[in-house]
Amino acid sequence: MDLRSLLAPRLVAHAHCDIPCGIYDPTPAKIAADTVAKMVEKITGAGGTDEASRNTFIRSVAVKEEHAQICKKELLILWTDYFKPEHLEKYPKLHDTFWKAAKLCSKNKQSVDAKAAADLQAAVKEIADIFWATKK
Amino acid sequence: MRPATLVFRVAVAGGSMEPTFRDGDWLLVRRLSGPPRAGEVVVATDPREPARLLVKRVGSVAGHRVTVHGDHPDESTDSRQFGPIPDSAVIGRPFLRYAPLRRIGFVK
Repeated sequence: MDLRSLLAPRLVAHAHCDIPCGIYDPTPAKIAADTVAKMVEKITGAGGTDEASRNTFIRSVAVKEEHAQICKKELLILWTDYFKPEHLEKYPKLHDTFWKAAKLCSKNKQSVDAKAAADLQAAVKEIADIFWATKK
Repeated sequence: MRPATLVFRVAVAGGSMEPTFRDGDWLLVRRLSGPPRAGEVVVATDPREPARLLVKRVGSVAGHRVTVHGDHPDESTDSRQFGPIPDSAVIGRPFLRYAPLRRIGFVK
């Protein structure tokens, strides 16, 4: 037996970030972005002036607003809590990508814009791809 | 997990105690005598998984309840997530970092 294995501890004391790393996931942001896109579709295609149609229209607007906000919140959690300086070194565009994605969330709240919704979906996908790459 | 000897060795896994300890540091730990004190580094059993050991710094001591946290809070799972731990879970005080050689030193 060499000196190193003689001196090596047999016990491990953990100094980990195990729980947060286990539960970070870009999926909620993706679902929220997909919901925004779906609501834009529904709002754009909405017709009818009867009460039921107006109710559906207003609900679609409210859900778009809500999910754009959820998307922003989920992105900010990933940005500020999950990603670390070493990720930034590997993905130098990370801050810019997050900043633009968060701005797209705001744009989707302000407008009914299929392109903005598709851009948000693409931005979230880009972030999700980076996230999963860091997990490999 | 309760080592029987008065002094035992542990290997640090993870970065939540940086810069005090780095991943892979080897520590000598004295079995705890007396209650833990705020500010000191301790080895404790994980409240979520008693067979597992944690190394953390004591934040506050209130009666028999102790909060622990990492020195590097961005990378730490600690009392912010799992709440205070009972003082009986605290089993030792690391007092010497004995490897790697260039990092040998007493624990503050």
